[in-house]
Amino acid sequence: MQTKLKLTTKRGLFGTAAALAATGFFALSGMASAEAVSQQTYDKSDLILVTTVINATNPYMASWIEGSKALGEKLGLPVEIVQSNGSSQTELAGIQALAAKGKKIVLVTNPLAASDVPAIANTVKQNGGYMVVWWNMPPNYEPKDVGDNFVAFGTYNGVTAGECGAKGLIEAMGGKGGIIALPGVLDSTVSQERYAGLLNVMKNYPDVKLLDTQPANWDQAIALKTTQQLIAKYGDQIDGVWTADDGMLLGAYEAVKKADMIGDVKFSGEGAYPPVIDLMVNQPDGDVVAASSFHRGYKAAATGLLIAYKAAIGEINISAMSADQRHGQYGIDCVTPENAANFQANGGIDPAWLDKLIADPFMDLVGGAVEAPKS
Amino acid sequence: MTSAPDLRPPSRPIKAAARFAKWQGRLAELAILCGIVLIFSVINPSNFPTVSNFNTILNNAAIPAILGVGASFVVLTGRIDLSIEGVMGAAGMTFVLLSANSRETMDLGWLALPIALALGAGLGALTGTIHVVAKVPSFIVSLGMWYIGLGVAAMLFGYEMIPFLSNEAAVAWPTQTPLGVPNSFLVALLVVAAGWAIERYTRLGRFAYAIGNNEGVARLTGIAVGRYVVALFALAGVCSALAGVMGSLALGAGAANVGIGMLFLTLAAIVIGGTPLSGGKGGVLRTLVGVLILSTLYNGLILSGVDPSIQSGVSGLVLVAAVIVAGWPHRNRLKVFK
Repeated sequence: MQTKLKLTTKRGLFGTAAALAATGFFALSGMASAEAVSQQTYDKSDLILVTTVINATNPYMASWIEGSKALGEKLGLPVEIVQSNGSSQTELAGIQALAAKGKKIVLVTNPLAASDVPAIANTVKQNGGYMVVWWNMPPNYEPKDVGDNFVAFGTYNGVTAGECGAKGLIEAMGGKGGIIALPGVLDSTVSQERYAGLLNVMKNYPDVKLLDTQPANWDQAIALKTTQQLIAKYGDQIDGVWTADDGMLLGAYEAVKKADMIGDVKFSGEGAYPPVIDLMVNQPDGDVVAASSFHRGYKAAATGLLIAYKAAIGEINISAMSADQRHGQYGIDCVTPENAANFQANGGIDPAWLDKLIADPFMDLVGGAVEAPKS
Repeated sequence: MTSAPDLRPPSRPIKAAARFAKWQGRLAELAILCGIVLIFSVINPSNFPTVSNFNTILNNAAIPAILGVGASFVVLTGRIDLSIEGVMGAAGMTFVLLSANSRETMDLGWLALPIALALGAGLGALTGTIHVVAKVPSFIVSLGMWYIGLGVAAMLFGYEMIPFLSNEAAVAWPTQTPLGVPNSFLVALLVVAAGWAIERYTRLGRFAYAIGNNEGVARLTGIAVGRYVVALFALAGVCSALAGVMGSLALGAGAANVGIGMLFLTLAAIVIGGTPLSGGKGGVLRTLVGVLILSTLYNGLILSGVDPSIQSGVSGLVLVAAVIVAGWPHRNRLKVFK
């Protein structure tokens, strides 16, 4: 058992001060401080960085892996990638196998299902490592109830994301016309939140009609097929396609293009995938992609992994973290044709972002837990 | 049950009656298809029975119809090919990465197509060979091959961004209708016609029935069962690969899960069309009708405004109902069912 007193170094102090200057209002509490941290800490050489993804073919996941690796490089630690391939069992077995290697796990995970989190938390707890979870967590399950090993839960506010897309879309449509909506899957919280955002915005535009809502399984191929059916049904009544994700936007876009309606229909999505940004910037078929919100897997993975890492080496005092830091929401950017070129220029990531993050892992935190959408 | 097992061979009905029953069976599925079209036309008179909507249905039916040809042959022998979605992914990604695309990997032009089909044939032949040589049930080998195919596709996809096909004319081609119906459906019709010719006029096709009817007898008559089974799996692999290429053209991009949902659709279409999973009877034309029934149903349910959560349930119900109806006359003969 090795508990170390972490004393603030000059560099640590500088980092803290810089972070405070940059963000202005973050409490000192979560940062490295002169006090001893309450949790067990480890030497850097005892740690292994682990990141889990649902698959590696989704652009969000690819970006997630990229972010994990970029941080690993900065910290000088290798990153192990666990691919769950759509199976909770595979995901858990992968984490357990790494836990059995003898090093302490520093984990950032985007779990396949909310119900996976307790099992993952147990594995990390037994290992003595630290983890940060994104997106999915069972209701009424909180990091602080699990203990120090579950450092933080982070998410993005899906309602804000849905509103960004809906607002851009409806304004591009001139505030009137028919919309078809493609959410992800029916029982996904993220999808429900984004859809709630669409409905919120529509309240302000009485001349906009929601023609139909068909979940397209977060999938480009299914979105294509579904949009083709909806085009057959509504034809030129469709003036806009709202999608809960840019992958589905691309499928719908292809369907509309094949129906020779591409100039008459606007689109909005979520995720700011590079091909979608490209459609906004270069406009090969005209100014038709109206908006997409932006939170790159890159940022989520790097932020989560860094928080867990800082907890493990004692630069974050878990008992002094604020409620929002343990369970909070992170900022989303709204990308429209006006600012798309700017995003494209640096791949959506400010080159200095990672260094700023290392100085302040809670840099992008904007608030507390997201409230469930009321339906 | 105490009755002794019935070991008599099933009585052979007279030829004319058999022919009538055969046609009656075939007509039943067509009647169901017409019935569905009629019902949806009544529910949505303005947007279901239109040329553009029928073209949407035919375009959607193209990929499962192509898959159905290969899978029907495998099912005819009493085996099953679950690897469809994986082979589609692997072949589709291969095709995209070997064609002009946004990742600028390589551009082999039309050569990308035969290479993708060859990959499908190879994966299919591998499934068949493992099944025959190692005597592992086709069910489990092809299940494994599904994931091997997905793995190949995911590896090809890598961690980079989506590869988009650069050749816009090729991407637009499947849905164009120079001959009145979508090109994709014409491709499917060609594949079905080729499948029908194989089924009817070649040894490969005739032996598929013989093997499915009674594999022991087929062996005794000197048919090299193993070799034909491998060839049929390879044929199924080619069909899956072609479907993967068509799927990639439809998307205009490469995606590992381009075949998502196709396995259920294809197997259901085979059974609904009237080819039993036990093999020995049925055929590719029946499967085409099965595919059209399911594609029309899918389209009609959306057009009728049926709640999305109910749609998949209805598809399942139709499958179960079709199996019950198809098996009804034989239910007393089935002493063992599992």
